Amino acid sequence: MRLYLLCLLMSVFPVAAHAAIVQQEMRPGIPANAEYLIGQRSKPAVLLLHGFLQTREFPTVATLARGLQDAGYTVLLPTLSLNIPNRMQSLACEAAHKHSMDDDVAEIGRWVDWLKSHGHHSIVLIGHSFGSLQLLAYLSTHPDPAIKAFIGASLVEAQIGTTSRQALIAQLEAHIQNKQRTLVTQSLSFCRKYTSTPEGLLSYVRWDQPRLLTTLKQMPTSVQLIMGDADGMLGQGWLKVLQHIQIPMVIVHGGSHFMDGEHEFDLLDHTLKFLEAHQQGSSR
Amino acid sequence: MKWPDAISIKQIALAFITGLMVLMSLIGGFAAYQTREVTRSLEQHNQNAAASELTSAVQRLLRQTDDQAANLAGWDETRQQLVLPEYYSYWRDQRVYESGMLPSRFVRVALYAPSGLLLAPSPAKNSLPARLPAGISLPSSWLVDEAGTTVLYHAFPVYIDERHQTLLGYGMIRLDFMPALLQQEALHFADKASVKLTLKPGENLPATKLLSRLAFNALPDPDRLRFQSILSRTLLALFVLLMAMSLLGFVVYNRLLVGPLRRLSQDIDAMQHGRFSPHSSRSQAMRISELENVRRSLYDYQLQLRELHGSLEHQNREFHSQARQDALTGCHNRRAYEEDWEKFRIELKNAPQGVAFLLFDCDRFKTINDTYGHAKGDRVLSIISDALVMALRANDRLYRLGGDEFATFLSRTTPAQAKQIAQRCQSLLDASVFSDLGINEPVGISIGIAFCAADQLEHINDLPKQADIAMYTAKQPGRTRIALYGEDTERASQTLVASRETSALFQALASPGMIEMHYQSIHALPGRKVDYYEALARIRYHNDLIMPDAFLPVVSSRRLEAGFDLAVLNQVDADLSSQQLPPGIGVSINLSAQSISHPEIVSQLLELSRHNARHPLMLEITETSLITQMAEVRTYLDLLRTVNYRIAMDDFGTGYSPLRYLVDLPVDVVKFDISLVNKLGQDNRASQVVADFARMMSDAGYSLVAEGVETDTILRKVESLGIAHVQGYLLSRPMPLAEVAARFDDQNAGVDCAV
Repeated sequence: MRLYLLCLLMSVFPVAAHAAIVQQEMRPGIPANAEYLIGQRSKPAVLLLHGFLQTREFPTVATLARGLQDAGYTVLLPTLSLNIPNRMQSLACEAAHKHSMDDDVAEIGRWVDWLKSHGHHSIVLIGHSFGSLQLLAYLSTHPDPAIKAFIGASLVEAQIGTTSRQALIAQLEAHIQNKQRTLVTQSLSFCRKYTSTPEGLLSYVRWDQPRLLTTLKQMPTSVQLIMGDADGMLGQGWLKVLQHIQIPMVIVHGGSHFMDGEHEFDLLDHTLKFLEAHQQGSSR
Repeated sequence: MKWPDAISIKQIALAFITGLMVLMSLIGGFAAYQTREVTRSLEQHNQNAAASELTSAVQRLLRQTDDQAANLAGWDETRQQLVLPEYYSYWRDQRVYESGMLPSRFVRVALYAPSGLLLAPSPAKNSLPARLPAGISLPSSWLVDEAGTTVLYHAFPVYIDERHQTLLGYGMIRLDFMPALLQQEALHFADKASVKLTLKPGENLPATKLLSRLAFNALPDPDRLRFQSILSRTLLALFVLLMAMSLLGFVVYNRLLVGPLRRLSQDIDAMQHGRFSPHSSRSQAMRISELENVRRSLYDYQLQLRELHGSLEHQNREFHSQARQDALTGCHNRRAYEEDWEKFRIELKNAPQGVAFLLFDCDRFKTINDTYGHAKGDRVLSIISDALVMALRANDRLYRLGGDEFATFLSRTTPAQAKQIAQRCQSLLDASVFSDLGINEPVGISIGIAFCAADQLEHINDLPKQADIAMYTAKQPGRTRIALYGEDTERASQTLVASRETSALFQALASPGMIEMHYQSIHALPGRKVDYYEALARIRYHNDLIMPDAFLPVVSSRRLEAGFDLAVLNQVDADLSSQQLPPGIGVSINLSAQSISHPEIVSQLLELSRHNARHPLMLEITETSLITQMAEVRTYLDLLRTVNYRIAMDDFGTGYSPLRYLVDLPVDVVKFDISLVNKLGQDNRASQVVADFARMMSDAGYSLVAEGVETDTILRKVESLGIAHVQGYLLSRPMPLAEVAARFDDQNAGVDCAV
């Protein structure tokens, strides 16, 4: 009996010791948390960011994080606060969104800093969907030698539906200029009625495909895109555009936007393959 | 309590129906009581169900509110509002409903800062308290009355972290309690309209005490009402059905059983009273087989009974006729006599007429019977009857009263006609031939006639007695054998007719002491010394002394000899026991021949024989009486002689077969009757015959006594004939015992007692 209990403790303790919830106050009264999965020190730490309005519990990123940790990578899996204290749930489209791309980028920066403060000086940013866009936004404004690579899965621009982006931007700018704090409702990404402050909405709307492609081309670090050719969220011809500008990209045949099902393994395999290749390249 | 003797089947049916109805009423009452109990139980169950249901509904509502509060407290957007409340109204008025956190706009929510102040004012119509109530431990629910509306408040804390370490603020849910409670579809038993929660103004009722203040009524259970209705209808229908069945059963019972049974009963009653209706209901068939069998049996029985009745009537007539007819002689018997006599006397009251009553008695019939046998005696009676019937008139009836005694009563007649008919009867009988029967001696009848004239019919009842007396007179020796009462029975009428003497006799026989013995001395010849006394009976009746010639005929005619002699013996015994007679004086006692053969008389004589030592006793047997059982009498006399009785033949010369008696019986003394003694006073052949006969008797060894000596002439004659003893008024008269004793006392005192 005693022997059994000893084996049980030995099997449970390592897992508990290699995962932790970390929390930072992003703004006054707005704490945010992240799951910290500790891997091998010899391998780069991965900051893995969820998609639009999601949390770190979203299956695509949660599964990928476990796979990476299993492969020996330290993974920091934050949940963006979206200006909600200790946000733990996916935020509804109709909620009063008071966050902006700047807030998101700032929080990413806080988490990169946190990694670095915890001794991780080789960091790989991996984002899923809108998270990839937010990481690109961060990289574009915060070049950091510690960030060794960027992997964007199901990368997509800030889609606004059929609304004219220029007109929307003009309208939003007018609101801002007039200091109208009224919430606006607009189709954004998968939300049909995304309710937000004009500033917040404008910060996302500005990230259209051209800006995204430009940012990609100007990435200061290694880039790897993993896209599914069955991704319904993508705009028509988006993959071809990406191929056209020759961004390193892996297309998962049959993979959807969320890389679910058997494609979770494709996502992990391609991620690990990139990371190993990148690590080998760095070590040379 | 007295039960009626019999109750009718209809009463039984009524009692049964009544009992059935009472039983049904009891069952119905019990069923109604049980139904009410079940109904009450169902109502209680319904009430309990309603209470349970309402409790569940309240708890569910509170739990829902609790869940809503928990969801709100854990909702990211709630926390966002507490930190960044810029769009709080949007969240409060829109988001909580769109997101489904609150089910409807009847439920309101408000957020409070950690200080307890409201984040922003609420709309007027759904105002929530501007400040959280102080001093409550959260989460907490309570109810208040707001302008007639019961409002449920639920306040809850909102933390920033899952571990509830950092308080971010508070939330409060407000809802209209009653609509929220009643709109739940789960209320099936409680009457929603009756659910009430009354709160005092300003009262703050904790939700934990809510249930105790909630008033409600249970909805009437349609199943229960239906059940009750069905049961009531069923009971009513059952009751009506049973009542109808009872009444119908009663009618059928009356029709099939009571009616036929009553008819049968009436028929049986009619039969009992001998009414046989030819149109009887028994000819109608009955529906009940058993009753039909009874009816048929009764019908057949009635037919048989009717036949039997006819037969019985015929037999009754036969029996009536036979019962009134004498089987031996064919004439009417004593019953017919009594009926006819009674009927005749009644008829006489309406048709007064002269009536004669004739009584016939065969002379010496017992002797004939003993001598020739009963068969020939019967034939003699039959011949007598035939002769009398022939002699009577056509409409006259002859009755045999018993033995050899016949009677008839003649209507519309006179004494002369009656005597004429009586003579015709004797003539016809005399003409009858008895030699065919081997009877060569003459057979005659004595006839007593009594007559009652038409104007003296009040004495009609005396006729049989008068005829009896006349007949006794007719039987006296020397008579013509026909005696008419009044004419031929003057003496007898003075003695026998009077019922006084008869009554005296019967009283004397029943009461000892009424018979008084007088003693007449019997003198020895020559010398005329008193040798012994003959005891002679008298009856003392109301200070009068009734003489033997007045009551002896009654004794004889009523066959009272044995009883009378027994009374005489008892009195003699008493006299002798008194020892008033001097020793050595004998006493002679008269006995009838019939008494000698009577065991009680013999027994009494044996008892009386104890006086023989002091007073020699002699028994005098009357020669005139008929001794029918000669051998038996002789045996008894021999027995009495062994105890020193001397036997005397009394009234010798007046009766039947005197020589035969002397020969056959052990006679010591012969007493010559007065009729013979008086012959001695005559100077003719009769005197010579008597004298010769007396000498012959003396020579034969008999001791002779001459009775009735009343003259000196006769006394001297008697003495000359050598007769041993003499008795008569010439020497002494009978006298009471006391007088006799006094004489002896005087004699002993030296007084000469010669008479």
